[in-house]
Amino acid sequence: MSNIFEGGRRTRRNFLQGATATAGLLSLAPSFVMRPRAAQAATLADVHVEAAKAAKELAAGRTVTLTIMQPSGSLGNVKPVADRFTAETGIAVNYLEVPLGEINQKVLLEAVSKTGAFDIALPATFGMPDLAESGILVNMDPYATKYEPAGFQDDALYSIGDYYKGSLYGYQTDGDTYVMFYNKDWLNNADEKKGFADKHGYDLKVPDTWEELDAMMAWFHRPDKGMYGGALFRTQYFLAWEWWGRFHAKGFYPLDDDLNPQINNDGGVAALEEMLAASKHLYPGARTNGLFENFEAFGAGDKFANIGWGGTQKFLNSDKSKLKGRMEFGLMPGGMVGGKLLKTPYFNWGWNYVVSSVSKEPEIAYLFTLYACSPAMSTIAVRDPGGYFDPFRGAHYEDAEIVNTYSPEFLAVHKESMRGSIPDLYLKGQGEYFDELRVNLGAADAGTKTAKQALDDTAKAWERITRRMGNRSQKVQWAFLKSSYPADIRSRLS
Amino acid sequence: MTTQDVDGPLTSAGRGWSRYLPRFNIMLVLPAQLTMMAVVIVPTLIILWLAITDWQPTQAIAWFKAEPIWFWNFYDLWYDSRFTNAVLRTLFVVAVCVSVELGLALGLALLFLDEWPWRRVAVSVIILPMMIIPVDAANAFFMLFNERGPLNHLISLVIGVPYEFSWLSHPTWAMAPIMLAEIWQWTPLMFLLVLTGLMNLPQNQVRAAIVLGASPARIFFKIMLPLLLPVISIALLIRSIETFKIFDPVYILTRGQPGGATETISMFMYNGAFVYFRMGYIAAAALLVLVVVISICLALARPMKRHG
Amino acid sequence: MNENPLWVTFLKRTAVVVAMIIAFFPIYWLIATSFKPYDQWASWPPVWLTDAPTLQNYRIVFFPEAAREFATAQQGSLDYKVSGSAWKAFQDSAIISTFATLFSVMFGTLAAYSIVRFRTGGENYPFQFLTVRMMPPIAVVVPIVALFSILRLSDTYFGLILAYTAFTLPFSIWMIRSFIEEVPLELEGAAMVHGMSQFRAFLTVTLPLIKGGVLATALFIFILNWSEFLFALVLTAGNVITVTLQVANYVSASSGKLYGVQAAMGTISTLPVILFGYVIQRHLVRGLTFGAIKR
Repeated sequence: MSNIFEGGRRTRRNFLQGATATAGLLSLAPSFVMRPRAAQAATLADVHVEAAKAAKELAAGRTVTLTIMQPSGSLGNVKPVADRFTAETGIAVNYLEVPLGEINQKVLLEAVSKTGAFDIALPATFGMPDLAESGILVNMDPYATKYEPAGFQDDALYSIGDYYKGSLYGYQTDGDTYVMFYNKDWLNNADEKKGFADKHGYDLKVPDTWEELDAMMAWFHRPDKGMYGGALFRTQYFLAWEWWGRFHAKGFYPLDDDLNPQINNDGGVAALEEMLAASKHLYPGARTNGLFENFEAFGAGDKFANIGWGGTQKFLNSDKSKLKGRMEFGLMPGGMVGGKLLKTPYFNWGWNYVVSSVSKEPEIAYLFTLYACSPAMSTIAVRDPGGYFDPFRGAHYEDAEIVNTYSPEFLAVHKESMRGSIPDLYLKGQGEYFDELRVNLGAADAGTKTAKQALDDTAKAWERITRRMGNRSQKVQWAFLKSSYPADIRSRLS
Repeated sequence: MTTQDVDGPLTSAGRGWSRYLPRFNIMLVLPAQLTMMAVVIVPTLIILWLAITDWQPTQAIAWFKAEPIWFWNFYDLWYDSRFTNAVLRTLFVVAVCVSVELGLALGLALLFLDEWPWRRVAVSVIILPMMIIPVDAANAFFMLFNERGPLNHLISLVIGVPYEFSWLSHPTWAMAPIMLAEIWQWTPLMFLLVLTGLMNLPQNQVRAAIVLGASPARIFFKIMLPLLLPVISIALLIRSIETFKIFDPVYILTRGQPGGATETISMFMYNGAFVYFRMGYIAAAALLVLVVVISICLALARPMKRHG
Repeated sequence: MNENPLWVTFLKRTAVVVAMIIAFFPIYWLIATSFKPYDQWASWPPVWLTDAPTLQNYRIVFFPEAAREFATAQQGSLDYKVSGSAWKAFQDSAIISTFATLFSVMFGTLAAYSIVRFRTGGENYPFQFLTVRMMPPIAVVVPIVALFSILRLSDTYFGLILAYTAFTLPFSIWMIRSFIEEVPLELEGAAMVHGMSQFRAFLTVTLPLIKGGVLATALFIFILNWSEFLFALVLTAGNVITVTLQVANYVSASSGKLYGVQAAMGTISTLPVILFGYVIQRHLVRGLTFGAIKR
C-alpha cells in the first residue's frame, strides 16, 4: 500500500504490521495521508444530512433498530441526537445504560459472550486499544473511506484515541482535557502580588510551569486563616493523572522506542517528589474527596488552584459556586526543557462512539456515529445540560448556549488545551499499566515507599506487562502513538 | 424392603425397544444429572483446559484455540501476592465471621430457652436479616457506613466531635463493614440451628443435673454443649463453606478496593476475569481453589456421614 | 429455668430487645431512606426519620419519565435519566426464578425418589450434588462464560435458568430426599399390592404426603434464585436483567449512588423473599442444612 502525502490533513490509512512497518512508520514523521474521496462526497457542514440519507437508504423496506450501550448519565447527550436520527431515517434507537466505570468491561465481555445486545457503544477512550485487539470493534477504515468528508477529523480537536495501529476504530465525542482553575481575586490582589514578587522574584500570574504552581500554592496555603493552596486530588486515579502531566513536563516519553520504561528516570522521580511535596499545600479533603466534593470545595472560594475538566467548569460557572466569573484559567502547567518552556496538556478520559463487530447492521451503526459526531449534531449533544460531554469540535466554541454555560474565557483555554493534548497510554493492557502506577504512587503518597522505589517497582511491573502483552505488537502501537503526539511536543520529548 | 422390578408394567410399550432405554431408576436421575453435566461438569473440564493457557479476550482468538503455557499460570499464582493475600484474607474472614456468628447464636439461643408471650415475635424479628436479598442488605450497610451515615453520627454523639471516618475507603478498616454485613445477615441462621438443637436436647439429662444442684454454667458447658456438638459441627461446616464463597457484600461495598485491600478469593477471581480479563490465569486460580476446597470438604464430611 | 430472679429475666428480655433492634435497624434504614427526598439521602447530620416523606424514589423505579421531570425541576443537580423502568427487571426475575425453580424441583424430586428408593448411583452419589455448593460460583463462572459463548446462551433466559437450576439442584435433591425418607416404604408397598407400579405408588401415595415439603422446597429455591447476583451479573448483557442487577443501575454520573432509589428498589424486591421466607420458616433449618437437621 503506498501512501500519498499531503500536508494539512491528519487522516490515517491501514498500514502494515510487523517490524518493517515499525521502521517504515518511524521514518514517516508526521504522516499526512490523502484519502480517496467517494463519489457522493459530503462536506463537513452537511455530513449529518448525508449520513442520515445513506442510513435511510440502507434500511429501506426493513425495520431496523440500533441499540446503544451508553455510560450512566450520558443519556442527555445521546438521546436528543438519536431522536433526530430516528426522525430523519425511521430507524429506532434503544438505550442500554451501564454504570460509568463498567462500560469498558462490558464491551470487552461482549467479545467473549457475543450476545449482540448492542450495536453501538460509548467506551472510555483509554480502553480502545484493548477493545480493538479483542476484535469486538469494527474497523471503520472502509466506512470512513466511503463516507467521511474531508477535514472531519481535523475539526475534532483531539482524535488521537480514535486510532489504533493506524486504523480508525471510533469517533471521539467528549472534550476531557485537563484544565487549571485559579482564584482570580487572589491572583490579582495587589498585596499578594507584591509579597510574592518580593519572595520569589517573579510576578503572580497564571503559572506556566509546575514549579511556579507549587510555589504559588505554597504561598497561598494559610490554613489558620482558612485559605488553602490547592484543591487538587490525592486519590489514586487523580494522582496518576497529575503525575503523568508532571512527568511529561520534564521532557520525557514514558517508554523508549524499545518499550523500556523511562518513568523511573531522574525526571520521573523528581516529578513524583515535587508532587508529594505539593501535597502539603492542598486542602484536607484532597485524599478522600471525589469529583463532586471537589466541585463544591473549590466553589466555596477559599482555595487558590484547582484541576479539572469542562464538567468542573459547568459547576463553577453556575449559581451554586461562589467563584462564578471570578476565575482565571490555564493550561496544565509545563516545565523548562532545554531552557525553553514546554507545555504538555493532557487528555485523560474521553468517550468514543464505536460499532460492535457482533452487530447485524455495522454500516448503519457507523453512519449513526458519523451523524452523532458531525459538527451540527455534536453541538446539540454538548449543549444538553443533563449530560457531561464537553466541547470537542470547532463548532462548539461558537455556539451561544455552550459559551454561556462554560464562559468564553474558559473555552479559550479549553480549546487550546484540546488542540495540544498529549494522549493517555493507549496500549493494550492500559488498565494494568496504570493500575500499577496508581498503586505505587498511592504508596509513595502514603509514605510506605520512597518515590524512587515506587517508580522502580512500577517500571518492573511495566516490563512484565509488556512481555505478557507481546513486545512486537506493543512496539507497533507505541511507534504509532508516539507519532500521534502533537507535533510541537513530539519534537521536545525524548 | 425390596425394590420393585423396574422392567415391570411401566414399560408397557413393549419389551422390544424399551430394552434399549436405560433402566427406569437411571432415567429418573437423568434430567438432574444432565443439567449438572452441562453447567458444572463440562465447565470444570473447560477449567482444566483454560488453566494451562493464558487466554485473554484481547488475543482475539477463541478460547479453545488458545496457546497452552502449561504450568506457568500456577507458577505465577504462587508468586502473586495479590492471590495469596486474597486467600489469607478469605480464611481470616471465615474464621472471624463464623466464630462470631456461632458465639452470638449460642448466646442468643440461650435467651430463648424459656417461654414468654412475645417470644414468637422476637424470633421472627431476629431472623429477618436472613430474608433480605444479600445485595440489598449490602446496600443498606453501604449507607450505614457512609462517611455521613448513622454509624458515624452515633459515634459523633458519643465522643462529642463530628466523626466522618471514611470506612469504605480505608485500606485496613474497609473489611469491617463487609464482615459486619455478613455477620448481621447470617447470625440468625446460626441462631435458628442452635435453637433447634437446643430444643431437641433430651430434657432428662438437664433436669437431672438441675436436681443434683449443678450451676447453670456447668450444665451448659458439660451437658448441653457436648450434646449440641453434631448440630454445631454441621452449622460450622455449612457456614464456613458459604462464608468462603463470600462475594455480594464485597462487590457492593468495596469491589475489593482500596487497591485490593478487601479482595476475597471470589472478588479476586471476579476482578481478574472480568475487569482485567485474564481468564486463563483465573481459571488456574479457580482450579486450585476447587481442588483444595473439595478435598477439605470431603475430608470433613466423611465423619459427618457416619453420624447420619 | 423459670425460677430466675426478676432482674435476671429483665436482663434477658432486654438483651433480646437489643438483638431485635440490631436485627431490624439496617432494614429500617433501607425503608426509611426509600422515602427520603434526594437532599436527605446523604446529608450531615443524617436524617433518621424524614420530615418530608416522598414517593418520588418509587416513582423513579417504576416510572422513569418521572425521573426526567424531577431532574429538570432540580435544575440539573440530579442528572439522572434512566432508560428503562424496573418493570422489566421484575418481569425477568419472575420468569427466570419461576422456571428455574420448577425445573429444579421436578428434576430434584425425580432424582431424590430414585436415590432413596433405588439407591441409584450408590451411597456417594448424592454427595456429587453437594460438591456443587462447595465451590465458589465464581470459579465455575469463567468456563460457563466460555461455554455459553459457543452455545450463544449468554444473555438469554434459558442460559440463566439452566445455571440456576443446576446450582439449586443440591438443595432440591437433598431436601426432598429427606422428606421422602420420612415416608415409610410400606405405604407404597400397600399401594403396590393393589397392582400399581412403584412409581405410580410414589405419585399417588407418597407425593401427596410430602407436598407440603415439596412446596417449602420450591419456595426456598425460589428465594435463592430471586436473590442471586453473581451469575446474573456476568451472564447478562442487557437483554435480560434481574432485580438484583437493577439496583446497581441506580448510579448517576454526577451524584454517585442514588441511595433513595436503590433503597426503594431494594425494599420492593426483597418483599417476596420476606414473604416466602416466613411462610416456610419451619423448613428453613432443614433447607439450609441440606436436610441434615430436621425440626
